[in-house]
Amino acid sequence: MSDLFATYEYAPFFDEMFAANGRPRPHYQLLAERFGRLQGIGEILRRQRTADETFLRRGVTFTVYSDNAGTEKIFPFDLVPRIVPAHEWRHLEAGLTQRMQALNMFLEDIYGPQRILAEGIVPREMVETSKHFRRELVGFNIPRGLYVHINGTDLIRDQDGVYRVLEDNLRTPSGVSYVLENRQVMKRVFPNLLRDYRVRPVENYTHDLLALLTHLAPDHVPEPTVVLLTPGVYNSAYFEHSFLARQMGIEIVEGSDLVVENDRVYMRRTDGLAPVHVIYRRIDDDFLDPTVFRKDSLLGVPGLVEAYRKGNVALCNPIGTGIADDKAVYYYVPKMIRFYLGEDPILPNVDTFLSADPTDLKYILDNLPKLVVKSVNEAGGYGMLVGPHSTAEQIAEFRAKIIENPRNFIAQPTIGLSRCPSVCGDTIEGRHIDLRPYILNGETIKIMPGGLTRVALRKGSLVVNSSQGGGSKDTWVLADDETPPTHSPQSQTAPAEEVLV
Amino acid sequence: MLSRVASLTYWTARYLERAENTARLLNVNNQLVLDLQSRQAADAPRAWEPLVYVCGGDSLFRKRHGTDVTERTVVDFVLFDRQNPSSVFSCVATARENARCIRDQLASEVWEELNSFFLRLKDDDYERYAQLGSAEYLHFLKSNIHRFYGVADSMIPRTQMWWFFELGRFLERADSTSRILDVKYFMLLPANTRVGSALDMVQWASVLRSCSAFEAFRQSRRGQLSLERVVDYLLRDTVFPRSVLFSVNAIHRALTCITADAPHLADNAAVRLVTALREHLENCDTPHIITRGLHEYLDDLQVRTGDIHDAIQDVFIHYSTDHARVLA
Repeated sequence: MSDLFATYEYAPFFDEMFAANGRPRPHYQLLAERFGRLQGIGEILRRQRTADETFLRRGVTFTVYSDNAGTEKIFPFDLVPRIVPAHEWRHLEAGLTQRMQALNMFLEDIYGPQRILAEGIVPREMVETSKHFRRELVGFNIPRGLYVHINGTDLIRDQDGVYRVLEDNLRTPSGVSYVLENRQVMKRVFPNLLRDYRVRPVENYTHDLLALLTHLAPDHVPEPTVVLLTPGVYNSAYFEHSFLARQMGIEIVEGSDLVVENDRVYMRRTDGLAPVHVIYRRIDDDFLDPTVFRKDSLLGVPGLVEAYRKGNVALCNPIGTGIADDKAVYYYVPKMIRFYLGEDPILPNVDTFLSADPTDLKYILDNLPKLVVKSVNEAGGYGMLVGPHSTAEQIAEFRAKIIENPRNFIAQPTIGLSRCPSVCGDTIEGRHIDLRPYILNGETIKIMPGGLTRVALRKGSLVVNSSQGGGSKDTWVLADDETPPTHSPQSQTAPAEEVLV
Repeated sequence: MLSRVASLTYWTARYLERAENTARLLNVNNQLVLDLQSRQAADAPRAWEPLVYVCGGDSLFRKRHGTDVTERTVVDFVLFDRQNPSSVFSCVATARENARCIRDQLASEVWEELNSFFLRLKDDDYERYAQLGSAEYLHFLKSNIHRFYGVADSMIPRTQMWWFFELGRFLERADSTSRILDVKYFMLLPANTRVGSALDMVQWASVLRSCSAFEAFRQSRRGQLSLERVVDYLLRDTVFPRSVLFSVNAIHRALTCITADAPHLADNAAVRLVTALREHLENCDTPHIITRGLHEYLDDLQVRTGDIHDAIQDVFIHYSTDHARVLA
């Protein structure tokens, strides 16, 4: 065992790398052995610097609004990969596919016949009071029966190592560009380790995404024009927008680049107005079209929704998917799976209490110091209370908010997210992580092998969001179940300082 | 190509060209100062003021430094001042910000080159400049910009993006060369009644050097340095890449390439103005211009390049959708 891990602290959480007896799990043995042959932490830190410089030079940055106007930062990257054995991935893939099918059927249903409401499985009121329910779209048949195209589902592992769904992101899940860039950097920093592990590649994502977008085009268009609609360069995810547009070879447009004439969408080019058939929009419903949604939106395109209704342009994701991001609606997803598919959910939710429900409400109010409370419509780690880490005043403040508007909150037990060794200062320590795989729903459901592993780099923190001090790791899904050998013949004879890990 | 992207590309090139011209001009000024007889003259505002004029920021400079015209205030103003939109720092930062907006369309190397340059530049200040020495520091600036052009030249496909890049670069250059000529002429002429004196030669050589034209001028075998020959060379030489006529020809070529696939735009306001300017330059007589007043002539040139800029905006960028062609 290398001294890199000599001072590693075990805690009552599921550890991705080490089993309860302190030994590396089988799929981490090779990594432990290779790391042990590096020149101590100094070598790790040197490689970490190489990685950080690469990100900065490539401009893999996000914009932070809270400090000085629009500072660009790199999303902190941690060198120790999260490794997912093949059999675990098969389980996740099956569960995520099942969930995507059910969510698509749910959206088709509530914007159509509303059977699930009629049968009382999901309370009608829950849907109709949701901020993201788009009444305007009820009865509108979305092309190809695809009511949601892209979902980034956040998964966590509890104390027992059970994967659970923390939330779905059916509007504009971000982060996939970091997955692709992280892998590029790992290829430079740990080329041999990556190869010896037989890690499944993630590069196909942009091909699959482009195929999906093209598939959505109106029928009569033989060679559709696909564009990515961004709120602009000051959006925190702009790097990702430009990255994806470049990888797919499509135009990135801002609202002001698009015009609608006779219910058709065009982009302003130097030589005139060119038709647009599919819009991968990275702006929320609210901002899409000031004539239908928010009147003050400068980001959107007047007339876009009418062009969409007429079937002249496809939107990805479709309008109205946000209803399923509502954390109170999330509570019902296991019931949806049973209702629409007649199956048991493969991936469980995190236990959830609805403050809209009187019995649950009482439990929540009695147990606030133990619970995590979330606003149903917030994301990014905002608008939440982590009971065990909060002061009495903060708890009292949330109590008042919950009583005032119970529909707006849910509560969950504080889950000790699994931990993974991470480089912290000049040691390696356990840090909490989650996982966001990306699910594409086109002609078939496709899931990129891996996803964004986010890590809460602050000691003890359970919040992994980039806006709250989180970083990311490369996620290695292994191609087969056989554990890679810890000793390869050539590397065994190489002197330690020449070892390329 | 999207109009917005065309505009960003055009401005990226303009800003980098502007940064390069400023660095070159400062370099020449430093050398000129060394050639001045006394140390006193070197410290005189007169030795530094022209730089502020050429960079077009005299009123802003007054606001920032009042009448404190010294090497330090001027160098700081033209290289590092964040408040001065034409300082080298601001130009590179804006060019990089523009490139960031269109980085999906740029080859990774092109963006990374500019981003790396910006990252190397962003913490620099007068102290760093003084510590490194002006020659070394200005070499650093120029060689980074040249490296960017090199990468851009070898990486950007000759699509509209390239031609808008060229358009911005040469329009800025035409404007800048006429400005340099204007200011140098203004600064030199009243002081030099003894035409042909040693200082006079040094000064005219410096005008050429401001445009990196000294060696090229010599090679062109135009004979002895003289006012008329220098002005004629910088205005009307057809092969020297920083002359006004060369730049105007490059603008014409770029416009032709931009509309190559859009016959409905082949005859447009911008190309008409450029053609007129080209004929105007080709047919003019330099001694006559100088007699009639070089300053007035150069002023007119700057108005014309400004009109070309406006026409480019009207034709390709901010056109009204009512009359726009709907493409198949």
